[in-house]
Amino acid sequence: MAGGLSLYAEGTSLLHRAHPLTKGVLTLSAIALAFIAPSLWWVVGILVVLLALVTAAGVLRRFFAVALAILLPITLLLLAVQGFANPLNRTVVFALGPIVYYREGLAFAALAALRIACLVSATFLFSFTTRPADIAEALMQRGLSPRMGYVVQSALQIIPQTLEMAGRIQDAQRARGLETQGSLPRRARAYLPLMLPLVLSSLVATQERAMALEVRGFGLKVKRIARYEFFDSTLQRALRWALALAVPGAIVARVAGWR
Amino acid sequence: MTASSTKDQEGMTLGVLNAFRFRLNTLAIVLIPVCIAIDWAGHALASTLKLPLFLDSIGTVLGGLLAGPWVGGLAGLITNFISSGTVDPIAAPYSIISLAIGIAAGIGGYYGWHKTWPGRIALYILIVLVASIGSTPLNVNLYGGQSGVAFGDTVVYAPLVKAGWPTWLAAYLDELSGDLPDKLITVVVAVLIYFGLPNRYRALFSVWRRPSGEPEPAPAS
Repeated sequence: MAGGLSLYAEGTSLLHRAHPLTKGVLTLSAIALAFIAPSLWWVVGILVVLLALVTAAGVLRRFFAVALAILLPITLLLLAVQGFANPLNRTVVFALGPIVYYREGLAFAALAALRIACLVSATFLFSFTTRPADIAEALMQRGLSPRMGYVVQSALQIIPQTLEMAGRIQDAQRARGLETQGSLPRRARAYLPLMLPLVLSSLVATQERAMALEVRGFGLKVKRIARYEFFDSTLQRALRWALALAVPGAIVARVAGWR
Repeated sequence: MTASSTKDQEGMTLGVLNAFRFRLNTLAIVLIPVCIAIDWAGHALASTLKLPLFLDSIGTVLGGLLAGPWVGGLAGLITNFISSGTVDPIAAPYSIISLAIGIAAGIGGYYGWHKTWPGRIALYILIVLVASIGSTPLNVNLYGGQSGVAFGDTVVYAPLVKAGWPTWLAAYLDELSGDLPDKLITVVVAVLIYFGLPNRYRALFSVWRRPSGEPEPAPAS
């Protein structure tokens, strides 16, 4: 549907079949809870649950390939910077001449990195098991304006097309002698000659698209009927409420002294 | 709107304007996905050229300048939603900043800031302030104050915190060190593209800002 952009992997697991809203609530609550939870082990617990769900959805291998590419650099950066420079730093772990590494910064970085790992896992759990078209469809059935639904769906289709066009323009400009390699100022100078034709050609297409939509009744103020309904159940509805209420519950617990 | 007033001339103009605005409404909606795609392409081109900047809000700023705060804001918001669902989940919390950047550009566009030099500088400063002030609290919560960009974190943040500066100030300067060059190029490219557009298209999109009776804004260039 969305070409090269979507991460969706076909599957028949429980998560694939769940209502998109249930998965959406699960993702948002898991992220919120990871940032509300007070200590390292709570966050590890949430991460373990999320990874179990990723495994249950049968996308663990693909998940690791994508998630590690994001998590590894940011984790290393956090460990490096916080270990050396954190206002809480007291206890020395090791010292190499003038460079001193501290334990408090290390703990701080580990907690931050684990929370980010929860954010990434929860989001990918959603993207791997939900067709992008279904998200917009489910939201429209719950009252999202069909115009916004169009914007999301159409963006998902236009982005790969535009990126493809960017590649073509790059080849064309290079054939005309544009330098896209070399020193930084030289590469920076190449930015505009690549960007301008791309934007102009994609903007020029909008008027036609708008007319085509108008002719098909896009602007009409009528009630839209869904092409298909998503399977929903009392259990899922209860689960959604429980997950959504867990967030304010956790905040109250934190205020009341959850350590 | 009924054009049954005795002032035939005015009624006609109003009716035509309304029909036009209606169609433009669809045009503005169609513009949003295009701006989102421009955001993506800007970032992709910056990566292929190995430029040390994000440049992922050119479409947002251009959308704001062309068609107002709602088009710009929505383009920014949905750009971040889509990228957080596909390539970079960490972008999700920053959606709100992209929304604010689009709205800021839209307000600048409404007043025609992109048409004069002092205005362009004001637009740049406004967008840098919105981005840096908005992102700093998110950086503090996500990364303990780092910006997640290796340059700012190692060259700005770490030495300042080491030297005893308060973390929030170091975090702000860290974020600013990335936003100052990034948003400069973003605004320059967006304004250049704006003036590179055929006049016809600019006029098409910019009808939104002219409520009936208000004089035409300063002509472009």
